Amino acid sequence: MLNEHAVKEDDIIAQQKKVVEDIISVRLITEENSVFERTEGGFVSLEFTDGNGEKKFYSRVSVHQCFPYSDPDRYISVREPDRDGREIGLIEDLNKMSKKTKEMILEQLELRYFAPVIIKIRSIRDEYGYSYWDVITDKGPCRFTVRMGGSNVYSIGKNRYLVNDIDGNRFEIPDLYKLTAREIKLLDLYI
Amino acid sequence: MNLCYTLPDELFEKVRPVLKGEKIIYCLPLDLNLNGEFTKFGWTVVTRRRLVVISDDQIGEIIELSEADEIICSHEVNGGILIARQDGSDRLLARFSMRYLTQYSYVARGATLFCRGDSRVLENQEREKYCPKCGKVLPGTQGCPRCAKSGRMFRRFLELCGSYAIRLSAITILMAATSAITVSQQYVNRRFIDNVLVPATGTLGEISAFFFTMLLLTGAALALTAFNTIWSNSLGTRISRDLRARVYAKINQLSLEFISSRQAGELMNRVVHDTSHIRAFMEHAFAQMFTRIFIMAGALIAMVTMNFKLALLTLAFAPAAFALIRAFRRMERRLWRQQWRFDDKVNNRLQDVISGIRVVKSFGQEKRETERFESYVDRMTHIQKRNELFWATLYPFITLIITSGTFLIYYLGGRDVLNDRMTPGQLIQFIAYANMLYMPLQFVSRLPRMIMRLKTSIERINDILDEEPKIADSPDAVDIEIKGDVEFKNITFGYKSYQPVLENINLSVRKGEMIGLVGSSGTGKSTMINLLMRLYDPDEGSILIDGVPITAISKNSLHRQIGVVLQETYLFSGTLLENIRYANPDASRIEVIRAAKIANAHDFITHFPNGYDTYVGEHGYTLSGGERQRIAIARAILHNPRIIILDEATSSLDTETEYQIQEALERLIAGRTTFAIAHRLSTLRKVDRIVVLDNHRIAEVGSHNELMRKKGIYYKMVMAQLEMHSVRK
Repeated sequence: MLNEHAVKEDDIIAQQKKVVEDIISVRLITEENSVFERTEGGFVSLEFTDGNGEKKFYSRVSVHQCFPYSDPDRYISVREPDRDGREIGLIEDLNKMSKKTKEMILEQLELRYFAPVIIKIRSIRDEYGYSYWDVITDKGPCRFTVRMGGSNVYSIGKNRYLVNDIDGNRFEIPDLYKLTAREIKLLDLYI
Repeated sequence: MNLCYTLPDELFEKVRPVLKGEKIIYCLPLDLNLNGEFTKFGWTVVTRRRLVVISDDQIGEIIELSEADEIICSHEVNGGILIARQDGSDRLLARFSMRYLTQYSYVARGATLFCRGDSRVLENQEREKYCPKCGKVLPGTQGCPRCAKSGRMFRRFLELCGSYAIRLSAITILMAATSAITVSQQYVNRRFIDNVLVPATGTLGEISAFFFTMLLLTGAALALTAFNTIWSNSLGTRISRDLRARVYAKINQLSLEFISSRQAGELMNRVVHDTSHIRAFMEHAFAQMFTRIFIMAGALIAMVTMNFKLALLTLAFAPAAFALIRAFRRMERRLWRQQWRFDDKVNNRLQDVISGIRVVKSFGQEKRETERFESYVDRMTHIQKRNELFWATLYPFITLIITSGTFLIYYLGGRDVLNDRMTPGQLIQFIAYANMLYMPLQFVSRLPRMIMRLKTSIERINDILDEEPKIADSPDAVDIEIKGDVEFKNITFGYKSYQPVLENINLSVRKGEMIGLVGSSGTGKSTMINLLMRLYDPDEGSILIDGVPITAISKNSLHRQIGVVLQETYLFSGTLLENIRYANPDASRIEVIRAAKIANAHDFITHFPNGYDTYVGEHGYTLSGGERQRIAIARAILHNPRIIILDEATSSLDTETEYQIQEALERLIAGRTTFAIAHRLSTLRKVDRIVVLDNHRIAEVGSHNELMRKKGIYYKMVMAQLEMHSVRK
């Protein structure tokens, strides 16, 4: 009886250790151990063979960039789609995957990351604590509102700026000095 | 927030055949297409039977809700997607930006209810962010200060001013009097020049008569102005004091639901800043507004009657001067704002480094931080210098341009005097009036902004004053003497109606029993406690204390008899004595000492140099976590509650302190019904029954030994904890 209890306890401890190991191990997804496939519903599925040769099929995976700004193509975390979904593995470099896979992953990244880039600033008007922006982005024309003060327009590296609007959307200005002098003057007040 | 927008007519005609006459329950716009591009708005339409997506004016996906398992709104990075889950596979339906995320998450939950045959319709109580009329951002209020009619705002302002309305009108009349004097002074001036000085026939007696008239008028104007200023200021202070008290009282009264839907800082702003905006308006704008406007009007009338042509000429300059002032002000604001922003940056940097000074030092980064800070300061100096230079050169120049209108009067008016069309006195009077007209222009150009700020503040204050407290005592609420039996009956509750945190909770607790609540974070332990304290009312079911529903017990008598020892003990700024007496200010000193002794706090308190008079809280003496907890226990003992709620700290303390706290707690809870959110095994072993919450429901109930034998969730938790300890050792 006592023994049985001890065995159970060991079991649980072993289980826990496995969970921890699972969390901390780095698994790389390569062209060889994975098959990505478009699903009918507009997502991507994955059949992954892990280090022990075990095959597992995921009907939908979601992809996260580890370095969305500084190194967008490398270290793509492929995860189960739910909010606290596990990481299935990392794609070390998207450019080392087959063209077909790369395309699929890029599509999914596009779906996950909504990051319009401001191409042209038509006007910025400020009124009572908020500034109202009218811009053209690579995703089309758009108007949005930014709270004044605080750090809603901020720099992430040389001449590269992000703008957060009051809804939580984020717009990117990749290079301030690629804008016209008039546009820079409009922006001057906020950066 | 609106969950059911009105579909444009022509689109409604298009979807009508698909809907087959069903009523539209939810309808939201889509601002993105599936490629993530801003396009012409699409729509998502939900009836009880189906979900239809319209994009580019075409009907896209149609989902029969009875065939779907779930509709999911997934929060992606800076955007969201709508998914239908059908037989375990996901289908992408639509894409939207963050603007509609909250609304879509409600609609997805609502549609999922329909999938499961539940016909309830969800509502979202959150405020709209944008004014549906003008599209501008709302300052966290229900009404839009921009769209609100000025008349209504003025009425609300008078309402806020309350009993001071009479004094307000008195001040206005006084201001009119001041203005009349100021204008008439120039008339006396003219008489003096024309009748006494120019003909050179005046006597000394006449001169002294004028002297005394002028003295009297000036003195009267000064006295009235001083009086006005004092009155407006004291009135402003009083009104803002009253408002502060009212807003603060209201915030205390409102349910946590209202308060937690707003940031603490925002509510503080309403109490402090918005009320002081009103005061500032009273002091700076109101006191001067009428005087200046009256003076301008008086001067204008006098000018027109004196010399129509010259008056027109002077006026012609006014719009130009006004436009110039406005342009100048915009430039001024721009420069200032740049400077402020930089000030902010420097301050933040400073605060950051000073707060993190240990890290900076321990990594030896002092030099780098100093250099970085210096570069900030250099840039700030540069901006400041530039701004100062700008003021110094531009300001006099602007004043010159604005007043150049009056120079023209010198010329044209001077000609009229020479041609005998005007007397010298009239010219001097006229020039004085022209100045009266031009000088307040700067002030007038600031008025719209000041009024808008006032309107916003009024709106934000009223927003709180108009709110009805959700959890109010029913008129027949009774005071009861609580014995300690507690029953949770079919309780279902969620902070957001679509997301239940507790589902169908049933638990009956006997008087004097100690219940341990366990479960991983987010399973609803604290929520059960919040409901018991009636900080929120459950969506379904009821809580009974001694057989009486808590909704029928007066809040006062309920809270008086429930004691709380929270995980993070909050000590208010004040002495230890005040803090221990917080719930029971009338307790005698010996009672306080007795409570502190029971709480194992007396000894460490008497070791402080200032004993019970030690000042704690902000800017005060810092107590350790263990000490704070014991103060909280003493507070609860003095409170002498019938039901005790204990939220045990997760962080572990040293064994000695831990032992003292345990001991104090045991004394506190003896004979009282206790609910403990427990993390420590030592606590859990002592409780009568353990309630394990899992997935928002009660999963297991029983004593420690029973649950260990059962080898369920609790057993696993205990084992995991033991394992953690053995790893640490």
